[in-house]
Amino acid sequence: MLSYRPDSTFAHRLDPRSKLLVQFGLAIAAVAHPTLPWLVGTTAFGLGALAAARLSPLAVLRAYRVVLTVLALAPLIAGIAFGPPWFRVDPALRSALYVGRILPVLLVSAAYLTSTPVRDTRAAVQRLIPGKPGQILGIGMALVVRLFPLVLADVREVRDAIHARGGETRPLWDRARLLAVRSLERTLDRSDRLSVALRARCFAWNPTLPPLSFARRDYPVLAIGIALAVSPLATV
Amino acid sequence: MATEQSVDLVDDDTVGWFTKAVLLAALTAALAQISIPLPGALPPFSLQPFGMFFAGLLLGPLWGGVALLLYVLVGIAGAPVFSNANAGLGYVIAGQGTGGFLVGFLVGTVVAGAIAHRRTSPRPVADLSIPVQALALTAAIVVVYAIGVPWMSMVTGLSLTRAAALMAPYVPLDLVKLGVAIAIVQGGYLSGR
Repeated sequence: MLSYRPDSTFAHRLDPRSKLLVQFGLAIAAVAHPTLPWLVGTTAFGLGALAAARLSPLAVLRAYRVVLTVLALAPLIAGIAFGPPWFRVDPALRSALYVGRILPVLLVSAAYLTSTPVRDTRAAVQRLIPGKPGQILGIGMALVVRLFPLVLADVREVRDAIHARGGETRPLWDRARLLAVRSLERTLDRSDRLSVALRARCFAWNPTLPPLSFARRDYPVLAIGIALAVSPLATV
Repeated sequence: MATEQSVDLVDDDTVGWFTKAVLLAALTAALAQISIPLPGALPPFSLQPFGMFFAGLLLGPLWGGVALLLYVLVGIAGAPVFSNANAGLGYVIAGQGTGGFLVGFLVGTVVAGAIAHRRTSPRPVADLSIPVQALALTAAIVVVYAIGVPWMSMVTGLSLTRAAALMAPYVPLDLVKLGVAIAIVQGGYLSGR
């Protein structure tokens, strides 16, 4: 599992807004250009992003091994023919090219994950989306990250309790109902308590925004992100 | 020297909807990590769609949409909230060919909430009739597949027919989940919510 790792690499020192733009720009460019030259170029860019975050490509491949294994099956499925010759190469190659486009997106995404703390992305969202929607999403993200482990522990506890009472012998729909109901009840109770806590602390629309600032090194990165994002327009 | 700063407090109703959206986002993330294994070659019974169902039914199109948007944003930011503790924009786009289903859950919640409540502020879930709930949740499932299957085709290069055939075994399981969600509402477990 890839997660933030403190360091002082070039990628770590970039503003999260620059990194988000490059990430989305590369995803748009990679998906919009299913050609071999673009595949090679975007993969090289992805490897560059990993180097900028001082992250091993092998570590990324290991982290995404399940995703990559499943995606690698797509060309085989695409090539299967229900009759002679039983396997057709052209659709398989086309599928391989399409799946290959995803690799650089995963590489850049991995570089982002390891070089950007969640709180920085939250700050970027809060600054990029103006007004109350930005506040709601920014603060909401911080709270979801804080509460996710607790809710997950609740759900696992409920599941274990159902198992302990011989839940495996119950019909599927009944197990699902019990798990969903008990988990939902606990979650909504937590919501009520959080609501009281926020009101008690004078939850306001105008909190202090987390500090973020562009440095000189961000501008070329922003330019690359914009160029990648608009690259499909250049070929229209 | 005294300084004066006005505080723009969030009203109590909004705080209530906001905290429900936050917790349902966290619940969607938690349910994505849990599945019930099924015998034979059947796919595991994922509980993740319950997050979409309850966000739509309990919170309506606006706050239900906020809940699922928070879930997706937190995953893009790096929290391991997608299935098998995955995270990142790359996973939203690719998944295991199933990245589009995450976007489908978001749009499906908005559609379910809009059909169930027919306004942005949700009415009590106990007031929703069974046909309205069934229509809302069926529409949500249709939206999820209408986005997820072409997305899978685009990511993997498979034809639409083959992508649809790969996802077809999950449809009956989703219909079971729909029935369970309606049974939970009808059982009165969410009355007063």
